[in-house]
Formats: sequence, structure tokens, C-alpha cells
Amino acid sequence: MTLIPKSRFLGGAEIAAVLVFVAAFAVPAITKSVLIYSILNQALVGVVAAQSVWIMLRMNLLSFASPAFMAIGGYTVAIAGQYEITDVFAMTAAAFLVPALVAIPLGALVLRLRGTYFVLVTFVLSQIMQLLLFETPGLTGGSNGISGIPPATIFGTELATNRQVVLFACGIALFATIITACLTRFFRQHFAAIEENEILAESLGLVVWRYKALGFVVAAGIAGLAGYSLVTMLLTAHPSSFDSGTAVDFIAYSIIGGRSSILGPIVGTALMVYATNLFGTHGQYAQGLYGVLILVVVLALRGGIVGTVSTLLRKARGA
Amino acid sequence: MEQFLQATIIGVSLGTQYALLALGFTLIFGILGVVNFSHGGFYMLGGYVAYACVAHAGLPYPLAVLVAILATGALGWVFELLLIERLVDDHLATLMLTLGLYLVMSTAMLEIFGPLSMDFRFPVTGALRAGPIYAPLENLVVLGVCLIAILGLWLILFRTDLGRALRALADDRSVAMAQGLRPKILFPAAFALATGLAGLTGALVTPILSLSPGVADPVLATSFLTVILGGLGSLGGAALAAFIVGIVEAYSSVYFGGSIGALVLFVLVLLLLVFRPQGLLGREIRGA
Amino acid sequence: MKMHTTTLMAALAVALGATAAHAQSCEIKVGAMGPMSGGAAQWGLAMSGAAELAAAEVNAVGGIEIGGKKCKVVIVPYDSKYTADGAAAGANAFASQDIHVIVGPVGSPEATGIKPVAARNQQLAWNAAYAKNALEPKFPLMFHIAPAPAVWADPMIKQVLKTFPMKSVALVAPNDQAGTDIVAVDAEKYRANGIQTTEEYYQRGTTNFAPIVTRLLAAKPDVIDTASSPPGDAGVIVKQLRLAGFAGPIGRLGGPGTEEIIRVAGGIDVLKDFFWYETVATGDPKVQEIDALYRKFLGKDPVGGTALWGNLPAARMTMKAIAAAGTAEDAVKIAEAMRKLPVEDPNMGKGYWTGGKQYGIAQELHFPFGVGIIKDGKNLGVTRMEAHPD
Repeated sequence: MTLIPKSRFLGGAEIAAVLVFVAAFAVPAITKSVLIYSILNQALVGVVAAQSVWIMLRMNLLSFASPAFMAIGGYTVAIAGQYEITDVFAMTAAAFLVPALVAIPLGALVLRLRGTYFVLVTFVLSQIMQLLLFETPGLTGGSNGISGIPPATIFGTELATNRQVVLFACGIALFATIITACLTRFFRQHFAAIEENEILAESLGLVVWRYKALGFVVAAGIAGLAGYSLVTMLLTAHPSSFDSGTAVDFIAYSIIGGRSSILGPIVGTALMVYATNLFGTHGQYAQGLYGVLILVVVLALRGGIVGTVSTLLRKARGA
Repeated sequence: MEQFLQATIIGVSLGTQYALLALGFTLIFGILGVVNFSHGGFYMLGGYVAYACVAHAGLPYPLAVLVAILATGALGWVFELLLIERLVDDHLATLMLTLGLYLVMSTAMLEIFGPLSMDFRFPVTGALRAGPIYAPLENLVVLGVCLIAILGLWLILFRTDLGRALRALADDRSVAMAQGLRPKILFPAAFALATGLAGLTGALVTPILSLSPGVADPVLATSFLTVILGGLGSLGGAALAAFIVGIVEAYSSVYFGGSIGALVLFVLVLLLLVFRPQGLLGREIRGA
Repeated sequence: MKMHTTTLMAALAVALGATAAHAQSCEIKVGAMGPMSGGAAQWGLAMSGAAELAAAEVNAVGGIEIGGKKCKVVIVPYDSKYTADGAAAGANAFASQDIHVIVGPVGSPEATGIKPVAARNQQLAWNAAYAKNALEPKFPLMFHIAPAPAVWADPMIKQVLKTFPMKSVALVAPNDQAGTDIVAVDAEKYRANGIQTTEEYYQRGTTNFAPIVTRLLAAKPDVIDTASSPPGDAGVIVKQLRLAGFAGPIGRLGGPGTEEIIRVAGGIDVLKDFFWYETVATGDPKVQEIDALYRKFLGKDPVGGTALWGNLPAARMTMKAIAAAGTAEDAVKIAEAMRKLPVEDPNMGKGYWTGGKQYGIAQELHFPFGVGIIKDGKNLGVTRMEAHPD
């Protein structure tokens, strides 16, 4: 890992990541298969949530709070939809900003806790969110959720067909990737320093809490975008979509794909979503597969799939 | 008044069960620095092993419980020795390893036993009654066993060489190793001790409640909550917090109902963290 | 080597069989959706099992005639995992295979998830959810396999009162959609019969119900009703209620799972006095015949218990509707044909289309159902209750 940044804003991996999503826009033009649209849509939602987890992993912090912030983003859009506010640009901003704002006081509480405490508390946050959803039926529809959300509109046109929803998801994923890429690239050294040794970094003058807070707030916003995408795909905001167990899935995508590169969550999500769809009626084995893959990656393929591939490439080049 | 007394009795029995779980969890963290995501899985495994012994091998229940402890302890030992030991310094990696193990364990149990609840009964039935107030005998038995186990754990940790070695490793590993303590034997022992405790709790409690693959998740959530409250790494804190969680859960469920009750507990824990981030009796967390 | 006549005959038979298979070259694909893994797996398997039985029955007489050709019906299963996203993904997966008719899904979150997506894909579906919005007028392609308590709770309560008179009841269920929707309706029907009600909800994931039991008993109810609590939870609640000294009847105006409840509670003598709702009249020998039919047509043991029986009429009517509409692709035509079909089943008897009063769209099958009674630890069997119009 070189300490001399080649570019403050975009490195090779980041550009590749952005290009992946630009390319994704082409898929609806190439195929009409509803199955491909469905898997792609699931992957596009998952990758944004995985990026939310990944941002925190850059600082060696594992957050289980992604479903909670996804819920905030998703329900914000659903509630706005009930007042006929569906414009895509306004809702994207809302889906990012509302969870980010909520993350500020939460972060102040939670980021004081180091490492493992942080993990446990974010786990508890997801459980609290489920409870809050059930206990506020007037706002969130309680256990029934909010169904029949009007489709997103862009410049007045409704995004109602399967094709249009996939394109919408591509747009959200692209936007989220750009934000994630800029954040982690711009603050690459700071995050890396915190990841390596937080106390040492602090003693060297880094104001650690600022970067943790920034990461946590942006990660919350990204998760909110994932919530928006999910709710648009289903046309429903339902508590079962934001179950605390889904955090495990997003963490698995990030870890298996590879922690050290922004391409990691992308590769991990694509692979795992595809694999889960393959399992079909034996869905219970999917969790077992995640478990085995996590064990393999952590023990043998340090750096996940992307990390291993890039190490092999480097060796092949003789670097 | 009767409700209050009844709630207290329930709270205490909940507290002892949570204490056994929390102690195992915090033991692993304190000594190895590992957050054991498979803790609920070992609880479930203990229940299933005991069930299989009783239902398929025809063993008497106390023997089945013993087998459950040995089985979960052995699995914990092997898992630590073969897998965790390689990465024991990387806290995030070990957390992921235990998570992976949990996913594999729960899929395996689902495959072997199916998704429905088993017919697994506690051998002691009936309750002590004083008017409308009752204390189920099964809870008293479990209370007794739990207290003995807690006492046993305390004796091991504070009155034996093994225990002293474990505590030394927890305090400062490099110094302890310089003194000649061998983590290669002690770490698996600590892990096995903790998973054995989880297995014991599972073997005891699942026949009182229910046994199915779904019982693992709530156990993990409760263990997390309890050790956050008590302070990671502090055994006294874990035990104290377990009783607080049990009693608060009992009172708030009885007086406020099921949903609000859970919320009360979470809010209390969060509030505590605002004012005391290291938990009730926790120490300052070791740095990276 | 001499060619034996038997070998020749066998070869001829194979050749004939192959040509016969080629002659029936068209296939109708029908989807079956539900949770097929995890805790609710038996309900999903019951859904696909019912679809497979209906398909096998129809295939045994050559299949369904579409455009002059007799086509074989093939059932394609999908595991929707009891979640909204699972069901939505399933509808899309089916759409990609040109499947426009779906038997399923099962649960409330699944029904919520599938409705808009199936509408977008123009797919007909049958859900078995108890949710308040299981059917909606804006989703005309959605049908309901069996009614929610709004239809059967009242006659059931009246029947139960004959064995277990009561003045007050405490209802308990988890605070998720299936729980709250059912309890609200149950409570209303109890009150309509002059019985006082209290409602208690518990957090999903609760394993020890002792505090809830204490709270339930504080109101000193005559009867405690576990509504739609999952059977594992209900079993623990029953166990702990009896341990707490509650001697009154315990009820279940909710879903199936009585065997699991008996298992977890520790035996039928612990249940002592218990009443429950069966989606079908399980005591009726004509209904019990379904298991024999399953073995005969599919050659294996049935899964899903009484839920399989409950799903079968919908699956059979689907086959009839496809035949009547003459297409397996045009969901709107099939739905039109479906609505015109009489509600009749060879094993279930006669029923009615209900749902108009409750949902504003009468696309719900209501067949004779059952009320089960256990008194003094003895299973008195399931009483057949006739269906009635809305």
C-alpha cells in the first residue's frame, strides 16, 4: 500500500467501479429478460448497502446498523409518496440526508465506543429500529408497512415498468458509488491511519473522531439510498425488508468481495446475489454457503476476492 | 403486590440464565479479545445434543446435559485451535470467523433436525405455590445449576493455576507469555469453557422453553445487550448486568406489555452508554 | 444371439412411448410460491404440494386443452422466504419464464410484496395471508385461498361457546403484521358475542413468555386465545400458562400448527381444554382422502399436513380456469374465467366466493372449515362447519 496518493480524487479502482455502473445502464437495452432485470435490481440494491458497510470497514469498524438507516431512507420516501412527492432528485436527496442527519446524534453516542463495543451497539440499533417501526403505526403503518407507494417520477415521467425501475436502480447505485469513491479516496490516508492504529494516529495529531463521524454519517446516507432503491423495487415499505438479519448479508458481500478496494463490495454482491438466486427452493443453504465462504475468505483469501486477484496480478507482473 | 412478587421471581430466573450466557461471552472477549458471534449457536447445539441423547440414544436427562457440555466444549476447543488461533490478534477477523461458524452451524441444525420445534421435555414438572404466586420447579433446578456453574467458574478462575493463567493472559498477553504461559493450550481451554457454558445453558433451558433452529438469534441479541451493559471483559459486570436485564425485562413486560417492554430495555442501555461508555463495571477497552 | 420376444416387445414399447411423449409436446407452466426454507417451510411446501397434486390429477387425463392440443401442466416452485422482497423476486423470476399463474404465496409480508409486482407483470396469484389487505380492488388478479377471521371467527366462537362458555378472553400474538391484523378482528368478533376482550402483543423473538403470562393473567380472563402466534411460541405460552396455574380453556382463532403446539407444550394433557381453527373440515373422511390421492398421483408421502388440504381447491380451480379460458398466458382472461367458476370441490364440498364485505372484492374461497376441541385432555375431534355467503 503506497502512501503517496497518485490522485486525490480518483484512483484506478474507483474509476473502474464507476464504469461498472455506467455499463449497467446498458443492460436493459441488451436484454428484455425479466429474470436478469430482477437479479440485477437485487444486486444494485445490495451493492449500495454493502458500500455502506464497506465505508466503515475502511476504518476497521464493523457496523450492523445498515438495515436501520435503510429503513429511515425507505420510509422517508414512502411517507413522502403518500403526499404525492415522488420526484427522483428530491427523493434521492431526502433518502440520503434524513438518515445522515439521524446519524449525527447517534454517531456522537456510538462512535465514542471502540471496536467491538461499536459492533454490538450497532447491532442493537437495528433491533431498536424494528421496534420503532412497529410502535409508530400512524407514521409508518406499523406492522403492515406502507404499501402501494407511487412510482418515482423524473421530470414528470413515471418510472413504472420493470425496465425503468432497473435504470432507476442503476442511477442510484452510480450516485452512491461516486459519493463512496470520493469519500474514501479523498480521505484514504486518514481512514487507513485509523484502520492501522487508532491511538497512534491520534497521538500523531489526527483528529480521529472527525473522520469516524464523517464516515458514519456518509455511510448512513448511502444506506438510506439503498433503502430508497429497495422500496422502489417493491413499491412497498415493509418492516420485514429491514430485518436486522439482513445486515449479515451486506457484511458478507463486503468481506467476501474484499475490504481493501471499492470493487470489493461490487464483486461480492454480484456473486452472492447470483448464488442465492441459484439456490432456488433450497434457500436455507444460502446462509450456510455465506458461512463457508466467510471462513474461507478470512482464513485463506485475505483481502477477499478482489484482494486476492490483485495480489495474483501483481505477482504475475513481477512487481 | 402479587404481580410484583411474581415478576421478581421471573426476573431472577431469567437473570440466572442470562448470567451463564453472558459470562461465557465475556470470558471469550476478556481473554481472547474475540467477539463470539456463534454464542447463540452453541446454546442451540447444546439443546439439540441433549435432545438427541434423550430422544434417540435413550440416555437419562442429566447424562444428556453432560454430553451436551462436552460436545459443545469440544467443538469450541477444536474451532479455536484450528481456526481462531491463526488470527487471534485481528479482532475483526475473529469476529468474522465466529460469524461464519454460526451460519454453518445453524444451517446444519436446520438440515438435520428440520425447522419445527422438537418434543423435548424437562424431567421435573410442577411448581411451588403460595396463593397465586408460583415458582416452577424446573426454574428452581436451573437456578440451582446456574448458581453452581457460576460458583464453579469463579473457583476455576480465581482459585486455580489455570484460572490465574487465563486472567494473566487477559490482563496483558505479552507479559504473560514472557512469563512462560502458553496461549496455544490456554486459549482453546478458555474458548471451550465458554462454549461449554453456552451448551449447558441450552441443554437446560430449551426443554423449559422450546427447541428449534430459531432459538439461537434471540440468545445472541440478549448476550450482546448484557455484556454491553455490564462492560466487555468484566465478569462481575456480566453477572450483574444479566440480573438487571432479567429483572427489567420481567417488570417492563409485566407492567408495560411485550413491545414497550423490549424498548424500555434498549433505551435504558443506550442511556447508560451515553454517561458511561465502558458499561457498568467495564474497563477501558484495550487499544488496537 | 437370439432376440427374445420380450426384448422386442420392450423395444417397441419404448419406441411407442417416445413417440407418444413427442406427440404431447406442449407444456403449461404454473408457479408455486411460498417459504420453502426456514421456520415456515411447511406452509410453502404445502402450497407447492397442492399445486403438484392438482397438476398430476389433470395430467392423468391428458392435461389441459389449449388451442386444440392437450398440454401437460408443470409446476415450478419458488422459495419466497416469508419476506416481501422474496415474493417480489419470485414474481419476476416467474415472469421471466413466461409464467402468468401463481399458486401462492403464503404469508402476509409475501402477499404485500407480490401484489404490485404481479400487477406490473400481469400475473394471477393466490395468496393465503391473513392480512387486512390480502385482497384489494386495485389488484383484480389477486385471489385469496382461504378467508381471514372476519368470515369464520363469529361462527367459530358461537360453536366454541357450546363447549366452553366464557365471559372474557385475553388475546395474545406477536406484534408483526400477521399478529396485529388477526387479533384486531378476533377481538371484534368476541365482543360482538358479548365477551370482554383484552389484547396483548409480544416482541417477535421472545422466547420466555413468563412475564407475558403474568400480565395476561392479571386481567383474570376466562379464556386465553393465542390467535396467530407461531406454533412454537404458542406451545411455550400454553406450557407456561398451565404452570402459572391457569385452568381455563386456551384457544387459537388463528392458524394451523396444533401438533407442534402439543409437542412443545408437553402433551395433550397439558393443553387440557383447547379449541382451534382448522382451515378445512379435517374430521371429514372425504377431506382426509386427499392424502391418499397425493400418494396415488405423486407416489410419495404428503407434506404440509392440513395446509395442503386447504390449498388444494384453489389449485384445482386454477386448472379449471385455465381450461375454461383456453390460455395459460392471459391472466386477465383466466381471472375472468375463475370468477365465473362455482365454488365446488370434490373433496371439500360446496363453498362461496367471499371477500366482498371485507375487502371490497369477492375473490376469496370460503369452504367448510373445522373447529377442533380438546376437552379434559381428550381430543374430541374437529367439527365440520358449513360455509356461508358474505
